Amino acid sequence: MLESVAKVVALEDGTPWLEPEPKASCSGCLSLAACGAKGGGLRALAARRFPLTDAPALRIGDRVVVGLPEGSVLRAAATAYGLPMALMIGAGIVAETNGAGDGGGALAMAGGLALGLLLARLIAGRLSGRGDLTPRFLRRVAADGACAKH
Amino acid sequence: MKDVILLMVSATLVNNVVLARFLGLCSFMGVTTKVDTAVGMGMATTFVITVSAMGDWALETFLLAPFDLAYLRTVTFILVIAAAVQFTEMVIRKVSPALFRTLGIYLPLITTNCAVLGVALLLVEGRYGFIDSTLFAFASSLGYSLVMVVFAGLRERLALAEVPMLMAGPPIGFITASLLALAFMGFSGMSAN
Repeated sequence: MLESVAKVVALEDGTPWLEPEPKASCSGCLSLAACGAKGGGLRALAARRFPLTDAPALRIGDRVVVGLPEGSVLRAAATAYGLPMALMIGAGIVAETNGAGDGGGALAMAGGLALGLLLARLIAGRLSGRGDLTPRFLRRVAADGACAKH
Repeated sequence: MKDVILLMVSATLVNNVVLARFLGLCSFMGVTTKVDTAVGMGMATTFVITVSAMGDWALETFLLAPFDLAYLRTVTFILVIAAAVQFTEMVIRKVSPALFRTLGIYLPLITTNCAVLGVALLLVEGRYGFIDSTLFAFASSLGYSLVMVVFAGLRERLALAEVPMLMAGPPIGFITASLLALAFMGFSGMSAN
C-alpha cells in the first residue's frame, strides 16, 4: 500500500475533501524556499484535492494517512503515459520505415499521441469506476505527528 | 532500422543518462524508495522528455540554427520543458482527474530535473533528424526509467537487510548506486565491438 499524509480542508455534505501534504523529491536544503522541487505551490495542491468517501467522522484541519493499493500507480502511469507514448513512438517508427520525411513523421506521431490519449481516457474511466485510483482512509495522524490507529 | 536500434541501445544502456552522464541524480536518490513511485516518476519523465525533445528539435531547426541564436539555446529549451510539463499536466487533468490526482505529484518534480535539459542539449550535439531525435530522447529517458526501477528494487531489498546504523539510509544508497554505475560501465564495451 502506498501511503501519504493529507489534511482535511473542506466538508461538503458530510464528505471530507483532502489536500495532500507536499513532498520534496529530495530531503530539502537551505534553498528550499526558492526551489521548485517541493510540489509546485498552493495552486497545484488545490488542483489535487480529493474526496474521501470511506472515512470516519473527520473535521477540518484533521490530518490522516491515506493509501492507494499496490499497483495502482503502475496502472495509472501505464495508462496516462505509457499507452500514448507507445502509440506515438510506434507511429513514428512506422513512418520512418515507410520513408516519410520529418513532416510526415511529425504528423504520424501527433496522430499516434492523439489516439493514445483517447484510449487512455477510456481506460482511465474504467479504472476510476472500479475504484483503483481512489485513495482510501488508513488512519489518523495524532497531534504529535505519530500515526494513530483510527 | 539497424541504425535506429543501435541509436536506442546506445542511448538506453551504453550512454545511460543517470549512470554514465550523471544527470537526474536528485530524483534518482529521492524517488526510488518504492518501485511503484519509481515507475510513476520514470514514465512521467519519459513522456515529458520525449514531448519536449520534439519541441526543442523544431525550435533548434527552424529558429535557433538559421538565425544564429545559439546563445539563447539553454533559455529556450528551459521554456520548452516548462511548457511541456504544463501541457502534460493539463492533458492528464482533462483525460482523467483521478489519474491526475494519482500522478500529479511527479510533474512539478520534472521541471527541475536536469536530465530533461541534458537530453535536449545532447540532441543538438547529435544533429539528428526529427524522428531520430525523438527516438534518441525516448531511449535516453527509457534508460533513466530503467535505472530508477532497478535502483528502487535494490533499495526495497536493502530496507529489509541488516545495515549497520552508520551506513543506513543515504550512505548505503550511494554505495549501491556506485555499484550499479560500475555494472552499467560493462555496457560501454559494446561500443568497441
